[in-house]
Amino acid sequence: MGMLIIIDQSPYGTWAGREALDMAFALAAFDQPVSLLFSGAGVNWLRKAQNTADIEQKSLEKNLAAAPIFGIEAILADRTACQRYNLDSEAMIDGVQLTNANADLLAQYSQTAFAG
Amino acid sequence: MTHSTPDTENPSFTLVITGAPYSSQAPQTALGFARATVAAGHTIDRIFLYGDGVHLASALVTAPSDETHWPKQWAAFLEEHEVPGVACIASALRRGLVDSDEQKRYQLNANNLLTPFAIAGLGEWVEGSIKSTRTIYFHAGA
Repeated sequence: MGMLIIIDQSPYGTWAGREALDMAFALAAFDQPVSLLFSGAGVNWLRKAQNTADIEQKSLEKNLAAAPIFGIEAILADRTACQRYNLDSEAMIDGVQLTNANADLLAQYSQTAFAG
Repeated sequence: MTHSTPDTENPSFTLVITGAPYSSQAPQTALGFARATVAAGHTIDRIFLYGDGVHLASALVTAPSDETHWPKQWAAFLEEHEVPGVACIASALRRGLVDSDEQKRYQLNANNLLTPFAIAGLGEWVEGSIKSTRTIYFHAGA
């Protein structure tokens, strides 16, 4: 059980995903079970070696790498979206579990929230 | 924080609004939901404004006179039903929404938080989502 926070928006160009990540960290800080699911364009969060210098934004890769340390239970990625964005496991940060974003997955959680 | 078992006999709701007034329909859809919830005899535990939703709590919003003033409509609803309305502090500061405490802290020359809204942390959202039977999100949409 617990909450599943779904990030379906690309990592840069909108603040929605960052604010969803903050929500996940807040739940974990209060010892509430929480997992993250990246789907759609959101799977681009999971790329290794993101270089954000030219857009003057902090890289989200470090934030996300801290997720297990802060107590976020799982980082899930929708398999179909990874294929669509040509993201294979070698190009992905460590610790991501591939899954199918469907009703069976959502049924494993008591609450879900979308970024945005 | 203690975990309370949600009461399904008498459901209660936390509403999270992430869309701004006048650039999205989220605040007015949420207000329609809130009015229906109260009319049905259910409880609203709190309203939590997050992301662009914090613009709903700005005292400086000035709508044309022939348009509904959503911040005032919401403020009246919150006062009438004694529902706490909370704007996330991180979202608020980034978007230029400050109360008198934050004005002092950051040495700003004005504050603009509409009564009865308050500014607080994401812990308010966590608490609401634990306490309420359901937490409902009102986003800006595509």
